[in-house]
Amino acid sequence: MVKFVTDIWDTFSTVFKGMGITARYMRKKPVTQQFPEERWALPDRFRGFVHNDVPRCTSCTLCAKACPVDCIYIEMEGKGKDRRMTRFAIDYNKCIWCSLCTEPCPTNCITMSHDYDHSVYLREKLVYEFVGDPVIPFKPKKAAREEEAEA
Amino acid sequence: MHETLSNLPLLSGLPAQVLVVLAMVSAGGIILGCIAVGGMFFIWSERKVAGYIQSRYGPMYVGGWHGVLQSLADGVKLLLKEDIWPEKADKPLWRMAPLLVFLGAFLSFVVLPFGPNFVGANLDIGLFYVMATSSLVVMGVISAGWGSNNKWALYGALRGAAQVISYEIPLGLALLPVVMSTGSLNLGTIIQAQAGWIHNWHLLNPLFFVSFWIYVISSLAEVNRVPFDLPETESELVSGYHTEYTGMKFAFFFLGEYADMFVVSAIGVTVFLGGWYSGIPALDVPALFPLIFILKSFFLVFVQIWLRWTLPRLRVDQLMYVCWKVFIPIALANLLLYGVIRTVLS
Ligand code: SF4
Ligand code: SF4
Repeated sequence: MVKFVTDIWDTFSTVFKGMGITARYMRKKPVTQQFPEERWALPDRFRGFVHNDVPRCTSCTLCAKACPVDCIYIEMEGKGKDRRMTRFAIDYNKCIWCSLCTEPCPTNCITMSHDYDHSVYLREKLVYEFVGDPVIPFKPKKAAREEEAEA
Repeated sequence: MHETLSNLPLLSGLPAQVLVVLAMVSAGGIILGCIAVGGMFFIWSERKVAGYIQSRYGPMYVGGWHGVLQSLADGVKLLLKEDIWPEKADKPLWRMAPLLVFLGAFLSFVVLPFGPNFVGANLDIGLFYVMATSSLVVMGVISAGWGSNNKWALYGALRGAAQVISYEIPLGLALLPVVMSTGSLNLGTIIQAQAGWIHNWHLLNPLFFVSFWIYVISSLAEVNRVPFDLPETESELVSGYHTEYTGMKFAFFFLGEYADMFVVSAIGVTVFLGGWYSGIPALDVPALFPLIFILKSFFLVFVQIWLRWTLPRLRVDQLMYVCWKVFIPIALANLLLYGVIRTVLS
């Protein structure tokens, strides 16, 4: 009989205690981040989608050679002064975000960006083309002067 | 209500029978609208409360401010869904079940007293009527479980039947002392007995204190809410008696459940919390009565939601233990005690 009464007391006291705890959480600010509107501040060296700043690219193909999975496609045509870069593409299906391509780049134009939400419905869409019309590869100042002197 | 309609110039020429039917249809339409809107509001608030208790937001996008129209969007989605039924289902029973569940809630709404003149039907046996109609829900639950031809649904339905039928006893016994004191089953009369200052509310009368707690807890079991949601335990029975339902049929179960929550809260408010009276005589103007009544009922619904996200569910044997070995003896003793005290005092 005593246990019967103490059980009832325990039930009510623990239920109210529990409700107090949930009430406290109800008043707290939620920890949710409203994703597309709010985002994490990413660390500086975060490795997002690889990005190439084409106007500064010398099309030396060092990055393509460094890439362990060969996912950078560079195509060129012409020789000497007529040399044009017709394609610079990165296949993000294969990319392993290792950042090895950024290291040999002479002009530091290929970088790891801070983008990460590039979901697509088709695999093919993950091959990003950076060059539309053929572009004249960038020439660093010293190299450009040497070439002029030769001419 | 048909007297009001006959005063409208457009309808004044119609015979009385037509007006009565018109009045019934329009009252039914109003109630249906209230249940739909109210149910959607409760579903939204349930998700919001659940979210905040779990340190997240809940729905945030549909409808602009804090996802208020989320339930509407869900309703549209459920309407457009394919209606799938099990091949070996008992079709008539299976079709009838969601309607029975919804009907139980719908019929109870008819007598809810939102104000002295703001009630669908002012029945003299209002409380009895509510108890009777709310047992229709269990018929729906059983026919859903049996008709689905599914083990989980049947288990859920059997649990539901056992639970609802058992808990109706302490529920009724808890209400009886109040009925004895007011001498009426009419919900309006019960409320009028609590007029005036807040200490007239039956909750604050020490003789009805035990009744109130028994009522609140049994009503949770009556509407299958946590911690008594054994008929629909997701972790063991998939989703209990409505496992096999999709689309609009499922929506009816859902809406019926939330409408039922409101009904038991409203009856709790009527019987114990002073109904449409605010507890301060100065505030008791007839225009505020429906508002006060609805706010109080919403508060009890909120408590039900709050409890749902606080407590784990009971085991089946614990559920039966609580009903038969705790509530019924206490409710009976309470009833007897009240009778004795009343006789001695009078
Ligand atoms: S990050 Fe690594 S895998 Fe990706 S393109 Fe650069 S070198 Fe290739
Ligand atoms: S290493 Fe740099 S400069 Fe050379 S091709 Fe790659 S991106 Fe262009």
